[in-house]
Amino acid sequence: MALPLEGIRVVEMGQLLAVPYLCKLMADMGAEVVRFESCTRLDPHRTTVFYDNEADEQFYNKAANFHDQNRNKLGLTLDLSTKGGQRMFRDLVRISDVFCENFTPRVMQNFQMEYQDLRHIRPDIIMLSSTGYGYSGPWGNYGAVGPTVEASSGLMHVSGYPGSPPVLAEIPYTDFVGAEHGLFAVMAALHYRARTGHGQFIDLSQQASQVAIAPEPVLDYLTNGRDTPSGGSTEHPTMAPYGAFPCQPERQVPGRGEIDRWIAIAVKTDQEWEGLLNVMGNLAVSSDQRFADAASRWRHRKDLNERVAEWTRGQDAFPLMKLLQAHGVPAGVALTNRDMLFDPHLKERGFFRVIKHPEMSGLPTIPYPGIPWRLREAPPLPAHAGASLGEHNRQIIVELLGWPEGDLASLQEEGAIGWEPVSYPRPNPVGLDVLLRQSRIATYDQDFKERIAREYGGQKL
Amino acid sequence: MLEKALSSIKVLDLTHYVSGPYATKLLADMGAEVIKVERPRTGDPCRNLGPFVADNPHPEKGLLFLYLNGNKRGVTLNLKGGDGKEILQALLRWADLVAVNFAPSTLEELGLTYEEITAVNPSAVVLSITNFGLTGAYRDYKAWDLVEYALSGLMYIFGAHDQAPIAHALHQAQFRAGTLAGGAALIALYGSLNGASVSAHGSRGNLVDVSVMEVLSASLRDTVSQYTYQGVVRRRTPRFGRGLGRTVAAADGYLIPTMTGAGTDWDIFAEFLGAPELKNEKFATQEDRIRNAEELDQIITRVFLERTKLDLFHNAHAWRFHFGVVLTPKEVSESEQLHDRGFFVQVDHPIAGRLTYPGASALYSETPWEAMIPAPTLGQHNQEVYGKLLGYSTGDLMTLRSSGVI
Repeated sequence: MALPLEGIRVVEMGQLLAVPYLCKLMADMGAEVVRFESCTRLDPHRTTVFYDNEADEQFYNKAANFHDQNRNKLGLTLDLSTKGGQRMFRDLVRISDVFCENFTPRVMQNFQMEYQDLRHIRPDIIMLSSTGYGYSGPWGNYGAVGPTVEASSGLMHVSGYPGSPPVLAEIPYTDFVGAEHGLFAVMAALHYRARTGHGQFIDLSQQASQVAIAPEPVLDYLTNGRDTPSGGSTEHPTMAPYGAFPCQPERQVPGRGEIDRWIAIAVKTDQEWEGLLNVMGNLAVSSDQRFADAASRWRHRKDLNERVAEWTRGQDAFPLMKLLQAHGVPAGVALTNRDMLFDPHLKERGFFRVIKHPEMSGLPTIPYPGIPWRLREAPPLPAHAGASLGEHNRQIIVELLGWPEGDLASLQEEGAIGWEPVSYPRPNPVGLDVLLRQSRIATYDQDFKERIAREYGGQKL
Repeated sequence: MLEKALSSIKVLDLTHYVSGPYATKLLADMGAEVIKVERPRTGDPCRNLGPFVADNPHPEKGLLFLYLNGNKRGVTLNLKGGDGKEILQALLRWADLVAVNFAPSTLEELGLTYEEITAVNPSAVVLSITNFGLTGAYRDYKAWDLVEYALSGLMYIFGAHDQAPIAHALHQAQFRAGTLAGGAALIALYGSLNGASVSAHGSRGNLVDVSVMEVLSASLRDTVSQYTYQGVVRRRTPRFGRGLGRTVAAADGYLIPTMTGAGTDWDIFAEFLGAPELKNEKFATQEDRIRNAEELDQIITRVFLERTKLDLFHNAHAWRFHFGVVLTPKEVSESEQLHDRGFFVQVDHPIAGRLTYPGASALYSETPWEAMIPAPTLGQHNQEVYGKLLGYSTGDLMTLRSSGVI
């Protein structure tokens, strides 16, 4: 038994999230992903969130974001502005099935790395360009990052608190949405190639991807001419009660912050409402005629939400969730990142991919978020750490491309490859105490290594 | 007409609402042959979700349903009844991919587990989308999108520091699960068709078990790693420090200014904004800007309020800074960029009329995306599918209809 994408080779020219996440999903499913990056322009994901919040001289090999997005890939350094780098890239494309990149069209044109260039090297290549707004059009060369597209897709306009400016998700949301659509597109192209022998160019727009999955307000405008006002997302157009309700906060060591606790409750059907009433056991609420049917509950949602909040306040969130779910009420605790790592459900499903970092990396065994599906018929998924800068240079250049061993030295001299960044200043991370004082984090645990080692095994540092 | 990318793939779509129908929409739009099964009389409950054409809550005029189910053929079938079983088995044998998004206990009640489906069709790939997956402690938990946001870890970090956490509006978790489910199903099918993942017992079937919760949990960037690398418990961040990467008001709307793009040269940024007071060593590095976030904020707020959002947006890109601009649904619908790329498509529907819909997320050079066939009216293709494809006679169909099977 093999993983479904074994035998597929992907060349990744990605940075930050969109294309690295897409290629990570393919690598987890068995594809051989050769990721190349430049020593002169470090991937920003190599420059933030370091182990123990310390940036030592090897910081670029110890960044959390990098390892999170680039596991199970081969790492090559390659500078496209050199002759050797260009030759290497073209030789790689010649033996690959898929090429994914997320740079602006301007960059791809400058290096003559567009689809019409690459199809001469490899006629059946599948090339995916992932851009904020698409490879063509008046905004084609507008660079983008996840948050900027969340804004220009219309999703942000309808998200946030009523009467306040719209709010972004704290993550580069549309990078993931684009990557998810990109995965589908590459797979569709691979199926087509398997049947016809033809490759193709996929011009993916993150903006279009996000509009495609937030269609309701756009459809309403296109059909009924109504421009949905920016009313926030704390209320639902039909459900009540609905929202995050406060529970008993979890105190930390004095002066070390507090975990505020919230339970999400969303009631749609009469059955769910009956379940909630049974748990609440509040006669004043259950006999209140204003709450007798769904439409009336929604009309009086403000009062109803207040009643529910009065009731949840002071309760322990987790037992309350279990009780509500046992009565058929859709309810869930807003988990923290720490909760996730120790969550019984995710553990039972084996969600986290536990990666044993090589000893020389200075990193221990660390669990990372896995992928959102399980295959019934598949061998265990791979669990190799992200490559250190230039880790697989030799393997790729000599063993895969078949270049003479001696070329490594001349390539290095030319600046085409390398094993460390060129003149990148060592970052100076802000201390966790500063972040805590500014309330940018809830708290931090000094014993996190022990806790993780207990749960996930591996040696603690 | 050019050949479509997935024209050889046959999909039996037993899904409803949003997540499953979006997965099969992606497949259908790329040419897969999709038969959508709805329950007799009432149909997919998505038909009852707004917005509606002219605000008329008619089951053939729900815009979300119409959007999600184009390019599919629609039949009705009672999955619970005895006579329906025979038809269901014939459909299962026909399909390469069987898509379901019932709760785990419902799948067991209906006899639609992986084992039962592959007993009928050993080479079927079964795509299951559930709120929490087919296994695990929360397997039978109930959830709407909001609850998924909470349990996935996204909600706790989403919103204002001193207010309740929030979720996105609309059906984001369901749509994203559908997107990944489409890709994951194609991965499993690819392995199955190309011989890679023949199971231990020699058949070519597979089960893809997608969890909506995990779609969000897998995509929180470094949220989890901040704990595993530093012991940090994250939360929503405070109002100050909104200078970059956050919402900032312009004269007529909102922007998301960022420093990415034109290198990280702060002086150039100050020059572009015409704000010399930013050329101060207090703001020179990213770390400095976090330390002096409040002061930075005040300057940025003042400068932005003097200009319009599109003026700042286009100017920023001329300087190669990656700015975002908050667009309303009207502005999205009229976006020069989306129109230039032919994003919006028109489709004629016999009851809803000629309407405009969002189109493809990507342009394909060889296998263009086309929206051709409107969403089926309830049971529209019963005759065609049951008669022509499965060989039932007109008499059979009348009997099945009168007994409520179809």
